[in-house]
Parts: sequence; C-alpha cells; structure tokens
Amino acid sequence: MKARLQEMLDTARTAIAVAASEIQLQDLRVSLLGKKGTLTAIMKGMGQLTAEERPLIGALANEVKSELETLIGMRRQELSDEEIASRLEREKIDVTLPGRGTIRGSKHPITLVTEEITEIFTSLGFGVEEGPEVEKDFYNFEALNIPKDHPARDMQDTFYISDDVVLRTHTSPVQIRTMLRQPPPVRVIAPGTVYRRDSDITHSPMFHQVEGFLVDRNITFGDLKGILTTFITQFFGEKVGVRFRPSFFPFTEPSAEVDIACVICGGKGCRVCKNSGWLEILGSGMIDPEVFKSVDYDASAYSGFAFGMGLERVAMLKYGVNDLRLFFENDLRFLRQF
Amino acid sequence: MIVTYNWLKEYVDFSLTPDELSHRLTMAGLEVDFMEKQGEGLDSVIVARLQSVEPHPEADRLTLCQVDTGNGVVQIVCGARNHRTGDLVALAQVGSVLPGNFKIKKSKIRGVVSLGMLCSEKELGLAEESEGILILPADLELGTPVFAALGLKDVHYELGLTPNRADCLSVIGVAREVAGMANAPLRLPEPVVTEAGAPIESLTSITIDEPELCPRYTARLITGVKIGPSPRWLVERLEAIGLRSINNVVDVTNYVLMELGHPLHAFDFNLLRGKKIVVRRAQDGDVFTTLDSQERQLNSTDLTICDGEGAVALAGIMGGENSEIQPETTDVLLESAYFDPLTIRRTSKRLGIHTDSSHRFERGADVDIVTLALDRATALIHELAGGEVAKGRIDVYPASLPQRQVTLRPKRCAEILGLDLPESRIDELLRGISLPVKKVTQDGEGLLQVTIPRYRHDLEREIDLVEEVARLNGYDAIPVTMPVSQALCQRAPKQQRQVRQLRDTVVAAGFSEVVNYSFIAMSSWDRLALAADDVRRKTVKVLNPLTEEQAVMRTTLLPSLLETVARNLAYRSRDLRLFELRPVFLPQEGEELPVEKLRLTAALCGRRDPDGWAQSREMVDFFDAKGMVEAILSSFLVEKVNWSIEVDEPYLHPGKSALLKTRKRVIGTVGELHPQVQANFEIDAPLYLIDLDLEALFAESKEFGGFRPLSRFPDVYRDTALLVDEGVSAAHIFSVFEKSRSREVEEMILFDLYRGDKLPEGKKSLAIRVRYRSPEKTLTDDEISRFHGRIVDALCKQLQAEVR
Repeated sequence: MKARLQEMLDTARTAIAVAASEIQLQDLRVSLLGKKGTLTAIMKGMGQLTAEERPLIGALANEVKSELETLIGMRRQELSDEEIASRLEREKIDVTLPGRGTIRGSKHPITLVTEEITEIFTSLGFGVEEGPEVEKDFYNFEALNIPKDHPARDMQDTFYISDDVVLRTHTSPVQIRTMLRQPPPVRVIAPGTVYRRDSDITHSPMFHQVEGFLVDRNITFGDLKGILTTFITQFFGEKVGVRFRPSFFPFTEPSAEVDIACVICGGKGCRVCKNSGWLEILGSGMIDPEVFKSVDYDASAYSGFAFGMGLERVAMLKYGVNDLRLFFENDLRFLRQF
Repeated sequence: MIVTYNWLKEYVDFSLTPDELSHRLTMAGLEVDFMEKQGEGLDSVIVARLQSVEPHPEADRLTLCQVDTGNGVVQIVCGARNHRTGDLVALAQVGSVLPGNFKIKKSKIRGVVSLGMLCSEKELGLAEESEGILILPADLELGTPVFAALGLKDVHYELGLTPNRADCLSVIGVAREVAGMANAPLRLPEPVVTEAGAPIESLTSITIDEPELCPRYTARLITGVKIGPSPRWLVERLEAIGLRSINNVVDVTNYVLMELGHPLHAFDFNLLRGKKIVVRRAQDGDVFTTLDSQERQLNSTDLTICDGEGAVALAGIMGGENSEIQPETTDVLLESAYFDPLTIRRTSKRLGIHTDSSHRFERGADVDIVTLALDRATALIHELAGGEVAKGRIDVYPASLPQRQVTLRPKRCAEILGLDLPESRIDELLRGISLPVKKVTQDGEGLLQVTIPRYRHDLEREIDLVEEVARLNGYDAIPVTMPVSQALCQRAPKQQRQVRQLRDTVVAAGFSEVVNYSFIAMSSWDRLALAADDVRRKTVKVLNPLTEEQAVMRTTLLPSLLETVARNLAYRSRDLRLFELRPVFLPQEGEELPVEKLRLTAALCGRRDPDGWAQSREMVDFFDAKGMVEAILSSFLVEKVNWSIEVDEPYLHPGKSALLKTRKRVIGTVGELHPQVQANFEIDAPLYLIDLDLEALFAESKEFGGFRPLSRFPDVYRDTALLVDEGVSAAHIFSVFEKSRSREVEEMILFDLYRGDKLPEGKKSLAIRVRYRSPEKTLTDDEISRFHGRIVDALCKQLQAEVR
C-alpha cells in the first residue's frame, strides 16, 4: 500500500503540474481525493493491514492527501496568476490616445476681472452694491457736483433718454444711491455697465467700471493710498510700481489719478504707455464736500474716498488683450481662452 | 495746450532739465501727454560756409563743395542745386544720426571722398517736404549747432489739462506753476505802449448793455497799420504750438492769447458802422455770418458785439466776416474783454463752435489781465505793423467782480491728507504759485487766509486749498496707511449670490458667456417676427444714438445673441453653446426710469460632444436645451414646474418649443428657432434657445430643505413597456404616475421611447423603470407587485395603454 500511495503521489504531481485550467485541476482533485477517487480506493485496502501498519499507512495517507491539497492549491494560484497576467496583456490599450472630452464653458473676461476685483475688495471688508444703468441726471451728474452747463460734462459724452434721464456715464451714481439709503460708515464697491457716446479703436460706447468708496470718521488721503495700493499689488502683483498724481474729478477733492508701472515694458517706455513708463488705471480722490451735501452727510464729522476704474482696461492689461473690440465681438475663439 | 521749455524760461528762471520738468509738471497735475525734444542728438549738425562749389569731376548732377566749419575745411559731395558759394548751410558731420536713424559716415561718391552731408529741412525733421538743401540766414556763427543757432533747440510739452485748470491755458499760467517748483519769481511782460494822436474816447465809444454777461470791455485803437507777414520769431513761436501764421495783426492776437491766456479780437475799425461798439444780446431770429463764412441763427441768450447797426462778433467765440482784418486794413480796434463763462458755453455748445477763445472764456478767463493783454498786443502790433496808437484805452468795468477770501486751517489739511505739514510750509507752497497768504489767529488756532486771484476759478473752498497743498507738496509725500473703520458684515445680497451660482452652473455645462451692447436696432423686432402689438416693441429710446444699430435699449437679449451666433458660424465655429446674462430694459407707464430685469438667454447648435475619436457625433436637439434648464432648476431646487406646449413665441418652432412655468410664474421658454427667423438672421443650422426670466427663477428657488436619512434596506426595480397612442404625452404618464404611486417609490425613469414597424400604426412604446425602497424594511415581492400593479393599472385604464 505504501508503494501504491507513493506511486499515486508521483503520478499526481506530474498531473497537477501540467493541469492547464482551473477546471482540469478541479477534475484532478475529484479523481484523486474525491469520494470515488484514487486515494479513497487505495484506502479501502486498510482493512487488510496489520494493527501496527495501520497507523503508519494512515499517517502516510494523510501526508499524501495534504501534499496533494497543497500542490493543487499552488497550481491553482499559478493558473490564476497566469490568467490575470494574460488578461492584463490582452487588455492593453494605447493610453496616448486623447481622453474623452467634455465641452468646457467660459466666463467672459469682464466677468472674470469683476469677480476677482470683487473678491479682493470683499476681503478688505467692502460690500457690493448695484444700481440702474438707465439713470436720472440727478444721480449721474447733479448730485456728483456736475451741474448742467458745467465744462466737466464735456469729459463724458452722454447718451440721453430724455432731458432728465441718461445712460449712466459712470458707476458713480451708485455712490449717491447708497449714501442716500444708509448713514455712514459705508464701505462699498459697485461694478457695472456704463455708456459713453464715443466709438473708435480705443473707445466703446458701452463698457464696464467698478466704483468703490469708503466713508467713516477720520478717513484720510493716506488711507486712499493704502487701500488702492493693496488692491493693485493683489491684482497686478507685488512688484508693480504705483504712483498717485493730481487730477480733477468734480466729485472728489483732492483728486488723484493712479498709474501703475507699464506692465508691457516694465517702465522703460513703449508704445502702450506712450513712452511714459506708466499706465493710468484708476481715478480716485477724497469725496467732495458738495457730494456729502447732496446726500446729507455731515462733512465736518465724516470724510471718505472714492475711486473708479475701467474693467476693459484692467482686463486688457492683465490678459494682454490688445484690442478693445474683442470684448464685444464675442468670437468663440476669444471667449474660450478665458 | 502746448508749451515749450525755452518759452517758459522767458518768464521764470529754473534749472530743471527737460525730463525733470516733464515729470514735475505731471506730478503737479499738469499731465504731459507728449514731449518732443527738437534737435535732440543733432548737435553735430553745424553751421558751415560754402567756400567753393564746383562740378563733380565724374558726375554732372553732383557738386564738389569745400566747406568751412569755422574750425577747418572739409570736402562734401552734394546733389542739390540751390547752393552757391558763400551760402551758410547745415552740415551734418561724420558721426551724426539724423531723424529716421540715418547715420552719416565718411564715404566715397563716384571716387571722391565726402566727409558729411549738407542737409535739407526735411532731413532735419523741420519740414514734411523740402526742395534743395537748407540755406541758413547769413548772420549765424560758423561751427555752432544749427538748431541752437536758429533758436529751434527746444522741448515741446503737450499738456492734457483738466477742465478746472483754465489758468494754465497759457504759457504764463504754466510758468506760474514752474515758478512754484523752482522757488523763483514769475516775470510778467511789461509792455510799453507809445501813444500819439487823438484820445481814443474822441474816436470811438464802447457801451455795455449787458454788464452781467460782459462785466468788462477794454479797447485800444491803432491807426495806419500795414498788414503784412509776421517776423520769423513770431511765425516760429506760433508754429511751435501748432498755429498757422496769418498776418502780423492776427498773429499778435494769437500770440498774446497763448502767452497770457487771454483771447483778444481785432476789428477793422473802418468797417464798424457808426465807429462804435455796443455789447448786447442778439434778438431771436438774428442771422449772423461768422468769419468762417458760416451763417449762424442767433437767439436772445447769445451775446453779440455790435457796431452802430448790428452784430460784428459773437462775443468771446468768433468774429464776424463783416469786420474781419483784411490785407488792406489800416485801422484796428483791438478788443480785450471778459465774458460770463456760462453764456459763452451755452452759445458755443448750441452753435457747435469751439474756438481757442470760447474754450478759455467758458472755463473762466482772468478779468484782471485784460488791460495787460490789451497793452501787450497793442505794443506788439505797433512794433510789427507800424501805425499810431490812439491816446489812452477805453476800460468799461461798471462793477468790479468779487474777489474771494478762503481760509485754510492747517489742522483740517492734516486731517484730510493724513500728513501734518507745518503752517510755514503750507504758506511757502501757496505763495510759490502767487497765492497771497495772510496768517490770522482765530480762537487760538493759526489760520491762513488766502486771497484768491480771479484767474483761479477752481479755488472756492477750504478743500480746494487742501488739494493745492497736497498737489504742490507732492502726493508721493503722503504716507500710505490703512483706514481704521468700523467692522460691518457685508455679505453679498442674495440675488448677487444667485447670479453667480447660475453663471457657474451654465459655464459648467459648457456654455461660454458673451457680452453684447445693451442697445440694438429697432429693426430687430421685425427680424424676430414679433407681432405689431408685442410688448417688447415698447422700448427705451436713445435720443442721440451713434448709429441706428444702437437706437433702442434691449427688451430681450435674443436679437444680439442671434447675431453673435451668426457671426461665429461665419467664423466657422460650428458647435456653439453661448449665453448672455444681463438686464433688459422695460419702460413703465408713468415712470421716468425703466425696470431693469435680468435674463439668461442661451443658444446651442452643432455637435453634442467635442470632436474626437471617442466622441459621439450626434447633433444637439431640443432636449439638450431642456436638459440645461433642468440642471438649472435642480441647482435652484425649483420643483413642481410645468412644461407647457402653450408657448406663443413667433420666433420659435411651434412644434418644438415649451413654456416653463410654475403655478405662480412664467419662468421662460425653450425651443428651436423658427426656420423663418433663422433665415432672417442668416443662421444656417438648427439652433436651440433658452430664455429665462431670472426674477421668476429666483423667486421660485428654495433653500436646501435639509438631509433625508438613507434607507438601509435594498431597492428593487420593475420595468414596464407601455404601448400608447402617439398623442399621449410623457406629461400624461407622469401625471397618472404621480397620482397612483405609493410612498415606497424612490424614483421613476422614462428610459426608452420606441416607434417603428413592430408597433401598430399610430402607437408608440414608452418604457418606465420604477425603483422601490422602504426606509423601514425589506420589501417583499408581493408588496412590490402590488405597488407596481397599481401604477400599471392606472396607466392602462386612464391612458388606454397596453403592457407590451
């Protein structure tokens, strides 16, 4: 019996080693170790053995069984590894083929700069207000210290709807509406669409501005410089040069034009900055007492500053757009880039 | 306004370089828009004398010149024909670089050495065109740079002045600012008028009928002048600032205008009827011909200068043809007056005449300089045109204009600027630009009382002086600080947040945002096929549009978006997803301002997916548009909407459009563009449109209602295909379903729609999948069959559907 067991083991070893599939292996297992298998058949001869032989042969049979189980298990693992390896090989793809695309939408660049500017000023504690685009002369001009027949009206060629209604020429009327609605302190920006009767390569009859103003006790021109310098370094980068120079707006006094060092030439002088090395980006100033009068603020107790900038201009500088008209042509090839 | 470096030096001594001056002017609020250095880098072009001019031995058209530079003789080959031995010429020596980066080198021309070039005016940048070389005046010194010798070495500054600084519309005005910078005195011209003959009062008279409109009128009379060309210095001065020389008398008035900033007018005295001047209003209906030969319709708001019979000038704006200086004029009445700014501005604006004179008067001239300007011009005319100046001048100034005193508190100045300047410094700054300052003490506080010169119309209040101090001391010197201000919670209002959420949703769905003008052509309504009584034809009209294409404010965003689509299709962008999110303007009966309502309008056409090997090649259709809107509704948690086929938009395909509404509001429309309108806008592809009223959308939106617990029990679904009549809509099915569903239904999906040969005529098959799940237990097969059976029975009964 010992010899038969040994023989079975040898034969089975070879058979397991060449089994080519999980099914073959399963069949082999049944034929070797199953109820009607070889081992069972051999063990039927146990009855003829002596009492001394029986435990020895029994132990041997267990050893054979366990070894066969192990061998089958190992072969199964081998087969499964081979199967996975071959499947992985079969499933190989060209990963350099382009991915399945989705259409990417885009915000208009004017929306993008509006959102960025809004985010910067919001973080500085400013609220966001809006106002109508078709506006009363009073809010657009009179209350801002620009009476009818004032030469300052020439600075802004106006679209009229009636004698007393205009397409707002700047976002400054939102200042008036806000201050009439709430007492100081106020700290607000107002982005929006504005209109001027002018159309050429560098002027669009409709464009966008953001207005900002802050009124509280003890606000100084130094504070105006602080807020605007902070904004500019956040928006254009820490290194950009900034300068404030005197200018004139009817609704601020003192007034300042704010220039940044030319982002094209770095201040050396080029066509974009007309060789000056500087680019005008903001108008600003301390709010004129006349404006406070028209909104019933006490100019002896409060002071404040206001500023405004053209969004197309800052978008052109930030994104290097060289033609104003691109913003309104809405060519998808342009829009998609943002 | 143009000033030059040399001209400024006549009135003030300063040592700033041309570049420093440019910077200082800009930083003082007189922005230099443009600076041109004439003759820069041309010092090696010198005055030289032609010692001999002989023919070139090898070339007929060239000459061989020996040229005396004052420091030796050089040989030059020259191709010009207008030069003679003895002439003074401009020699560009070897090494010179002429305008246009033209480098002068030693050369050999037809075998003869030439050590430089004799220049023409064009080559020196002095003229656009010139013939032959420049022959210089004989009195120049050899060897000196030509530009310096001619007095042309100068720097021109073009100033972009703000409207408040009328006082700087003259060389003297700018010099006053420079005097402040240089801390040097300003020198005004001191004309000496040599008078002779009869007193002027015996020869003419001046009457002011409207002293409010013309507070002051002065005049002088010069007889026996000879009108002729102006001398070179005067022509060059005028050319430097962009004026053309006309004749000696007119040139003098222009020169004084630029020098002192005061407009003058010269009349031909012999053309003044009655030999007198009356300043009065025009009468309604008067017609007057100005010296540009234009007939002007006047009315009683216009101020005219009249002689004994009628108007001879439009006061402060332009003279009349009837009294203009002629070549044969001999007697000149010179006017120097001051007019009310508002009157000049109104007339100038109404008649559309803008002159150097009106520009200054409407911004405010200097009433105190009229006599200086008059005498300055009289002396110059006398000098240049001869004649005899009548004794004295007429000066009608019935009531002296008020002079302002403004008090400045140094403390207030510090409060506004955030910079504490000592009183002495403020005093010094203001005096520097000729503002008389007096120190006074009030309640123990030192104050500065400033007498405002009448040319500073912009200085009225303390704050105006604060600005002067800040400006003169330099904005750079003001420290950069951060405001100390009360904290406020300033969260963006709800609508702004909703707009942002909506824009993000639409962009995430692949749409690109466009921005179109708010004004469009009136003809857009016809192209959109709007009915004659469509409310959208009631628009806000622009009174003065730039073009008919921009005549009315939009009441719908569609026409501009359709034009944008057409333009992009023409640019060969075929797969479009575009949207615009902006207000429309709806006029309101009895209201001055229209209502501005935000809308979202979107258009899509072309392929659903981007191009690519692994992409679908299907084209978008109605359901892409509808799906976009459903995504928006879901983002804003809008429930219980109704997609109605009762849509009445003439620009939409009647069978492929829907009206989106809730019980209370119409939110918008979705649909395919009508083929006729598609043709009207020259769009050559089917286009799907979304148009939403954002006020309605936001009003229907809900806040997130909160979390629903997740069921731990398994789901089971049942599929059923129903055969129904073609006329049964999905909405019918949904409505029957809603009424027959049990609360264990988790969701229902309409997952297949089939029409075809296998079905009876006029029928279609709709397949639904219903998913069941209970939060409390595992549902049994029986329960599910009961729930599902109830739904299917209802559908079969109410819609005559059959289960397939």
